[in-house]
Amino acid sequence: MDVLLAILSQFGLFGLLTVGIAIVFAALRVVNLAHCDFAMLGAYAAATLTGMPFGWRVVAVLATTIPLLVLVERLLRRSFADGLGALLVTWGVGMALRQIAEVTFGATPRAVAAPISGSVAVFGAQGPAYRLVCSLVAVTVVGLVLVVAYRTRWGLTLRAVADNPAMAGLLGTDPNRLRTTAFVAGGLLAVLAGALYSPTLAVSPSTGFSLLVPTFFALLFSRPGSLATAALAALGVSALAVLLRTWLSDVVADALFYVVVIGIAAARSRPTIRRLVTWSRRFAVRSA
Amino acid sequence: MVSPLRRSVCVISVLTLLSSTGCAGSALSGSSGADTGAPLKIGVVVPLTGPIGQAGTALRRGFELGVAKVNDAGGIGGKKVEYVVVDDAGDPANSTQLARRLVQQDKVSVLFGTITGDTAEAVGKVSDDNKIPFLTAILGDPEQCRPYQWGFGESTRQLLTPMLPQLLQKYGNRVAVVGSDYNYPRLYAGLAKELTQAGGGTVVAEEYSPIGQTDWQPVIARLKAADPDVLLSMVVGADAIAFSQQAQQFGLLTPELGFEGAPLDADYHPALSALTTGRHHAVRWADGMTDPASRQFVSDYRSTHQWNAPIPEVAGNAYFGIQFVLAAAAKAGNDPAAINREIGSLKFDSPLGTGTHFASNNHILQAEMFDATISPDGYTVTAKFGPVADTVARKGC
Repeated sequence: MDVLLAILSQFGLFGLLTVGIAIVFAALRVVNLAHCDFAMLGAYAAATLTGMPFGWRVVAVLATTIPLLVLVERLLRRSFADGLGALLVTWGVGMALRQIAEVTFGATPRAVAAPISGSVAVFGAQGPAYRLVCSLVAVTVVGLVLVVAYRTRWGLTLRAVADNPAMAGLLGTDPNRLRTTAFVAGGLLAVLAGALYSPTLAVSPSTGFSLLVPTFFALLFSRPGSLATAALAALGVSALAVLLRTWLSDVVADALFYVVVIGIAAARSRPTIRRLVTWSRRFAVRSA
Repeated sequence: MVSPLRRSVCVISVLTLLSSTGCAGSALSGSSGADTGAPLKIGVVVPLTGPIGQAGTALRRGFELGVAKVNDAGGIGGKKVEYVVVDDAGDPANSTQLARRLVQQDKVSVLFGTITGDTAEAVGKVSDDNKIPFLTAILGDPEQCRPYQWGFGESTRQLLTPMLPQLLQKYGNRVAVVGSDYNYPRLYAGLAKELTQAGGGTVVAEEYSPIGQTDWQPVIARLKAADPDVLLSMVVGADAIAFSQQAQQFGLLTPELGFEGAPLDADYHPALSALTTGRHHAVRWADGMTDPASRQFVSDYRSTHQWNAPIPEVAGNAYFGIQFVLAAAAKAGNDPAAINREIGSLKFDSPLGTGTHFASNNHILQAEMFDATISPDGYTVTAKFGPVADTVARKGC
C-alpha cells in the first residue's frame, strides 16, 4: 500500500505537468521547455505569500500568472513557423525565469509548511496527510482536464487542431485563440503542480527544471494530441520510478530508470514495433 | 506529428549538456585599496551564481571583510592588499580556466575560494602546476593532499570525532547514514562507520540518492525499517530541505532521533529551523560565538550586507582564514613559494583557536571545534570541544 500511495503522489505531480505540456504541444506543436519553470513560480508563490492561507496563495498565483502565460505565448507566436526556433525560445524563457527567481529570491532553497499536518492511515499504510490530500487534488484535476478534453466542444476543437490544424482552421476554428487558451491552460496546470507540491519539495530557482526530464519522457511516450495517453504515460513513468526505487537502491534505480526509458523509446522507433502499436490501436478502436 | 518530438530530444540533450557543463562562468572584478608599488594580489574563485551561489557569496563577503580589516590596519608591508573575484558558477571547467587566468594574466600570488570538492580539485591542480598557494574555507576533505593547497574548514574527522560519541550516548547505538550520491558523502559515511564502531555502535543503514531527488519516500521507508537511533545526513543542496521535510512528514525525524549533518548548517537555517531548533551541531565557527573578534565580524557582516539570518560558517572560516594567510604573507612577502612555506609553519591565534596551524602531513588546520545549539534566531555556542586534531597522513603531502 505504501508503494501505491507513493505512485499516486508522483502521478499527481507528473500527471499535472505532463497533461499541461501535452495540451501545449497539441495546440502549438512546440515542446515548451519552460513548462516546469512555471511550476517553480507556483512553488515560490506558496513560499513567499505567507500572509494568506495556503489555498488563497494557490488561487492568487494562478490568477496572476495568466498575463505572463499570454505574453510568453505571444512571444512564441512569432516563431511558430520555425519549430526549432520556438523550442529555443521556450528554453530561453525558462532560463530567464530561473535567473529572475535567483535575483529576486536568492539561491538559498526555501521550505513551505504543509497546510495540513499529521498523518493518516490508508488500508494500514501510514503516510503524511497533506501528501495524500494534494495527490488526490492533483489526480482529480487531471481527471477533470480529461473530461474537458473528451466531453466538451473546446476539447473537441483542441483535438481537431492537434490532428489537422489547417483543416480545423478551414472549418472555422480560430487557431490563434485556441493556441493562447491552450498555452494558458497548460501553463496553469504546471503552476498548480508547483504550488500544490511545494510543501514536499525544496523551493529554489531550479525546482521546476529538475522536474523537466521525467515530464519530457512522459510526453515522449504519449501520442501527440492525445491527453489520455499523456496521463497514462505520466502514470507509467511515475510507477516505474517508484517501483525501481522501492526494489533497488536509489543509485541503481536511477540509472536503470534511464536505461528502461531510453530502451522503450528506442524500441518504439523500430518499424516492426511501430506497426504493432498501430495495429493494436486499430483493433482497440474496432473492439470499442 | 513525431518529428517535433524527435527534434526536441536532440535539442534537449544538447541544451542540457551545455547547461550542465556550465557555459555560465563569468569573471567579475573587485579590488580594494591603493596601488603603491607591488601590493599582494589574491585571486578569489567562487560560485556567485547557480545552485550554490549563496554559499559562494557568503565566502566572498567573509573574505572581503577579512581583507578590509587587514587593509584598515595598514595592509601588508605598508601596501593595501588587492584581489580579483571571479565567478565559476560551481563548475570545475570554469574553475580551471578562471584560476589559470588569475595566475597568468592577473599575476596573483595567492588563490582563495571554491565551495564544492570538484571545483577545489580543479583550482588545486592549477595552483600546484604554478606553485601558487591555494586556500579553501569550506568543510570537508580534499581527495588528495597537494603541496600548495590548504583548507580552513573542518575535516570530516574533526566534525564527527567530538559529536558522534555524544549522539551515541544520548540517543542510542544504531546509526543510519544518508547522503547525496557523490564522493564526499561516501567518505563521510566511511568515517562515520569507523567512529561508530569505535564507540560501540552499529551502522544499520546506508543510503545514497542522486542529486535532484524530489521524492524521498522509498529512502525514508528503508531508513525507518532499519529503526535507527541516530541519523547522520550528508544530503546537500535543495535535496537537504526536501529530504528533511519529508523525513519529518513520514515520522522518521522525531525528537527521539539523534540528527546531525549538513541540514543543520546555517545555510539551511531559514528553511529548516522549525525542524532543527534545539538540536546540537558541531561547528568550527558560529555567529553566536561571544569573543570580541567574532562579535565584530558578525556586526560588520550584518551592517554591510543588511543580513538578518544566521551567518554561514564558511563566511567565518573565510574571514579568519584570510587573516591567517595575510599574516603569513606579512612575514614572507609577495613570493608565492615563500608564502606557501610560511603558511605551512605559521601558528596563528583567532577565534578558531589559539596557535592554529596546519598539519604538515595532510594540510588540515588544527583548530578548535564547538558545540552549537540551534535556536530560531541562530546558533549559540553551548560547549567547547577544544582543539580536535586530525593528523592522519594523506597521500601527496
